Amino acid sequence: MSVSTFMGLETTLRGILAQQMALDVTGHNIANANTVGYSRQRAVLTPTDPYTVPGTSRPPQAGQLGTGVDVTAYERLRDSFIDIQLRAQTMRQGAAEASADGLGQVELAFNEPSDNGLNALLSRYWSAWQDVSNAPENLATRQSLAQAASSLASGFNQVASQLGTVLSQTGQNVTYTLDEVNSLGTRVAALNDAIAKSSVTGDRPNDLFDERDVLIDRLAELGNVSVTGTTLGQVDVTIGGAALVTGNASATLAESNLTSLTSGKLSGLITLRDTTIPGYQSRLDALAGALVTATNTQHAAGYDLSGTAGGAFFGGTTAATISVSAAIMANPALVAASGNGQPGNAANALTLAGIRDQALIGSATINTAYSQLVTQVGSDTQEAKRTLDTAKLLAGSLEDKRQSVSGVSLDEEMTNLLRFQRGYQASARALSAMDEMLDGLINRTGKVGL
Amino acid sequence: MRITQNMLSRGLLDDLQGVTERLSRTQQKLSSGKELTAPSDDPFAASRALMFRSDIAQNEQYGRNVDEAQAWQTITDASLSKVGDLVLRARDLLVQGANDSSGAAARSSIATEIDQLAEAMKSEGNAKYAGRFIFAGSATLTQPYQMGGVDTYSGNTELVKREIGPGVQVDLNIPGSSVIGDSSSGLLKVLRDIATDLRANNGANLQNVDIAALDSAHDALNAARAVVGARSNRLDTAASRLQEIQEASNKLLSDTEDADMAKTLIDYSTQQAVYQSALKSGANLIQPSLMDFLR
Repeated sequence: MSVSTFMGLETTLRGILAQQMALDVTGHNIANANTVGYSRQRAVLTPTDPYTVPGTSRPPQAGQLGTGVDVTAYERLRDSFIDIQLRAQTMRQGAAEASADGLGQVELAFNEPSDNGLNALLSRYWSAWQDVSNAPENLATRQSLAQAASSLASGFNQVASQLGTVLSQTGQNVTYTLDEVNSLGTRVAALNDAIAKSSVTGDRPNDLFDERDVLIDRLAELGNVSVTGTTLGQVDVTIGGAALVTGNASATLAESNLTSLTSGKLSGLITLRDTTIPGYQSRLDALAGALVTATNTQHAAGYDLSGTAGGAFFGGTTAATISVSAAIMANPALVAASGNGQPGNAANALTLAGIRDQALIGSATINTAYSQLVTQVGSDTQEAKRTLDTAKLLAGSLEDKRQSVSGVSLDEEMTNLLRFQRGYQASARALSAMDEMLDGLINRTGKVGL
Repeated sequence: MRITQNMLSRGLLDDLQGVTERLSRTQQKLSSGKELTAPSDDPFAASRALMFRSDIAQNEQYGRNVDEAQAWQTITDASLSKVGDLVLRARDLLVQGANDSSGAAARSSIATEIDQLAEAMKSEGNAKYAGRFIFAGSATLTQPYQMGGVDTYSGNTELVKREIGPGVQVDLNIPGSSVIGDSSSGLLKVLRDIATDLRANNGANLQNVDIAALDSAHDALNAARAVVGARSNRLDTAASRLQEIQEASNKLLSDTEDADMAKTLIDYSTQQAVYQSALKSGANLIQPSLMDFLR
């Protein structure tokens, strides 16, 4: 018999220690049940190396006596494939959220359908010309035309200025978002460094991995990221085609570095800033410009109340600059309503009112072009909202998948708690049994007859 | 699939959020009565709503144009009817004066009355509507006839137009020169000729030429009144047609923009029931865990 008398003590001690460590992990899991990004951990219990009875030939006893258990690793339960899928949806969601937000504001700027939007102001403006045609001699109707035209002009000014505000806010948002990307990059690089330092000693810095994954998840909201694992548990991260994190170094990216930005909040914002809103602005400007040109040309062909040929009715060329001529605002007798200089003739006022039905923008009238613009804004917004809803739904179900793998289930932890508690108690009981046995051996052996 | 408490609460929160969002949307529909509050609710419907709204505004304007033109016709007809009375009176006087039994003195006093009739006619020719001379052609701010003395017509013969539909224009006025005339033609000239013949005691002219001239001028006046009547009818038709279009457009706009209350109310109570059952199931689901049963 060449196995130590005290071997059983060691074996049960290992059991006690291992169960305790497993209990500690359970406690850690429960403590972090609601921590964002936390992946549940598990103590990997492995039997320790068995004891082989030394001998030159086949040992006379049964071989390989077990020596107990040890915790060989703290495993982090995570499926990196779900991470990739989830981040792809997060990117879409980020882009759609940015567009939906911005477009929602654009929609508010247009304020349609309402009694105060440009559509209503246009209607009032055309009607005012008709009113002038009903009483071209009357200064009051001319005054109210000047007022209606002025309301229309300031309506255009207002929409243009609100679009400008949305545009500049979007631009600022791009800057802030880029700052956030860079700051996230710095933090990922710092975590990479810490992870490498732990990994090099053979540790598994599970909680640092979780922290880093939360940061990368956030990065995915901002832009299209790709993550490549390298040595010592580090990852390299690129965003929009530009390297953001390489090992423990991070780059400070400018907008020009992001050469292939395809999704994420940044991409949504930049599209909004460079394409969508300028598109609306130029269409609105085309509307205002066409109105100014057509009105002024026709106005010059008519005669005012004193029989003088008409001057310019509108000033400005764009939605932001359109205004009613100051001379006409001051003296509405200058409205060239007459077609031949006679005060009762309103032929020019009727022709000017008829601009309503002229195809001035392609084959569309001003009203049609405006309603097309509003419809475009509406369907762009609707599309962005739908994409957002879909991305949210998919991201939600992928989040569930991730939780299914990595999330802490309290029921499960409670069960584990009981399991390891019982394991600990049983090991302790085994130790007591050994102790009693040794007590008999040490304290009572050789006392026969005493 | 392994389900964790966090998944349950996330799912519950998501669903509650969704139901609340729909509830608030439905509530907004109920309180505003509008199906359509932003173009993105339904871009196609929004463009239709914009179109109907501008159509309605335009039709309202055409309605106002028609009313305005109709008022003008009423005033014109009233004046022409008075001119017609004056012509009848003149014809009575002419028949009386043409009778050879009337002496020179009687004819001369009739001539004075005829001149009075001519002045009264000019006064009708100066009729105004809302500050405008209705018989002055397009020179509506110029008084067409000067009272006393010369029978010059200071207006012009231009027909002023009003728009009563898209591209549909009607003539508005009757130039005074074509009915009342001036020193060289029309009723005024006929009346002045009659007065001259009466004073010259020219029975032959009075019996033949003057009666024929007065009758033909009277015919011209009646023709003008018929024109006014026809325009008035046309305006009436236009007004009732505009009214019909307006009603149809209003209905279409309402169909497009306004919420279907019955449907919305049913949606509302359905969503409320869903909301309540989500809350109830959530309360039951989230609360217990194994902890409640372990001692």
